[in-house]
Amino acid sequence: MTDPFKALRLPPTPMNPDPAFAAQLRDQLEQAVLEPEQKTMTTHAETKLSTLTPYLAVTDARAAITFYVEALGAAQQGQPIIMDDGKVGHAELTFGDATIMLAEEFPELGHTAPTTSYPSYRLEVPDVDTTITRAVARGAELLRPATNTDHGKTGTILDPFGHRWLLAEATPAPKTPAPAPSHGELGYHTFQVPDAEAAKTFYGALLGWHFTPGRVENGWQIEGTGGMAGLWGGQGQTGWKLMYAVQDLNAALRTVTNQGGTAGKAETQPYGLSAECTDNQGIEFWLWQP
Amino acid sequence: MSEPRAHPDPAFALLELYEAALPQVYGYLLPRCGNRTQAEELTSETFLAAVKAAREGGPVSTPWLIGIARHKLVDHWRRQEREQRGLRLLYEDPLNDPWDREINALQAQAVLAELAAHHRSALTLRYLDGLPVAEVAKHLDRTIHATEALLTRARTAFKRIHNGGHR
Repeated sequence: MTDPFKALRLPPTPMNPDPAFAAQLRDQLEQAVLEPEQKTMTTHAETKLSTLTPYLAVTDARAAITFYVEALGAAQQGQPIIMDDGKVGHAELTFGDATIMLAEEFPELGHTAPTTSYPSYRLEVPDVDTTITRAVARGAELLRPATNTDHGKTGTILDPFGHRWLLAEATPAPKTPAPAPSHGELGYHTFQVPDAEAAKTFYGALLGWHFTPGRVENGWQIEGTGGMAGLWGGQGQTGWKLMYAVQDLNAALRTVTNQGGTAGKAETQPYGLSAECTDNQGIEFWLWQP
Repeated sequence: MSEPRAHPDPAFALLELYEAALPQVYGYLLPRCGNRTQAEELTSETFLAAVKAAREGGPVSTPWLIGIARHKLVDHWRRQEREQRGLRLLYEDPLNDPWDREINALQAQAVLAELAAHHRSALTLRYLDGLPVAEVAKHLDRTIHATEALLTRARTAFKRIHNGGHR
C-alpha cells in the first residue's frame, strides 16, 4: 500500500511576494553585495557630530564653502552631494571641533537663505583682526569692528550669504586641576617667537591652535597642543623653551651651577617657585618647584 | 607572466538572479511556514546569508538558494521548538496501525500548523520536500535511527490531530 503521507508532497510553486517587500529586500541585498566597495567610495563625510549642528541655507553653496574655508578657517569634510540639477544638496564643514551642514535653497522644503534678518553664530578664531580682514576682503560686511570686551576681543561680520558671525578670541579652557608633574617631568612649554601675532596667524591656520591672553605682555596661552603651553613674543632665544619640574628648587639650582650651567634666581610665581637657567651648552630653560 | 585579473565578486550573480529566484524562494517558504510575515523574514535571511555563502564559493543558483531557505526554515523551527518545549506535554503515542486515509492537502496544511515544531519540521522535510530520511536526519542533526523514530511520532501526532484529537 502507498504511504498516505506521500500526498503531502509540495513541489516548488513560485509565488510573488508583496512588491514592496521584494523591492526592500532587493535594496538590502544590493547594499550587502556592495558593502566593501561602499566603504572606499563613500562621498558622504563621516563627521563626528556633536549634540547641536546648525544647518545653513545659502544661495550659492560653492561660493559659501570657499568663503568659510578661506575666510573663516573651516575645513571641508568629504565632497558635497550634488543634486541632478547641479544644486548642492548637502555639504559639511568643521570649525575646530564643531560641524555645520549647509545646502542650497530648497524653497519647496522651506529651506531658504536668510534675506531680511540674519542668524548669528559665535565662532572662536585664532586672531579676530586677521579673520575680519580676510572676510571683508572676500565680500563680508563688517557690522562691528574688533573691540576688546570683558570677554576678550570680538567683532561681527555679515557674510555674503546672509549669516552673521560673532568672531571671538578663544575662551580659556576650564581649568582642570592636573596632577602636578613629578621631578624631572616637563611642566610647561613656552614657544618663544619674535612676533606673537605672526605666530598666532601661522600656527592657528596650520595646527588649529587657539590663543587666549596670558599673564605677561605679548604672552598667550595656547589651546590645542595637548599639553600646557604658551606663546611669548619678542623674546631672545626663539623656539620652544621648556620648564622642568623639580622636587627641591634650591638643591636643583646648586646642581645647575655644579654641572657648568647658569642658575637664575628663584622667584615666587602664582603657580609655584621657578627659576630661569641655562645649561652647560647655553640652552635656556626653567626649573619649577610646583 | 600572467596578467593581473580582476576577480568579479561572486555575490553580484545574486543580484542578477534575484528577480527570478525570489518567487521560487518565497514560494518554497510561504506554504511551509504558513505565515506571510514569517515567510518574508526567512526570505530576507536566505538572500542575505547567500551573499556570504556566494563569496565562500557557493554555486549561485535557485536550487542552491532553496537549500539555504530550507536551512533557515529548520533553524526557525528549532528556535520555535526551544520556545515550545517548556509548554508542551511530553505525550507521545506509541506507533499504532497502518493508516490508509486519503490526506487532503489543504487540511494537511492546517494540521501541520498545529503540530509542535520538531514534528512539523520532520514531516515537512520528509514529505513536503520529499527528502530521503538520511537527508532529513542531516538537516535535523540527528541520527537516522532517531530521525525515523521522530518521523514515526510525528506521523502519529499528525494523525491524532487529523482525526480530530488534540496534540
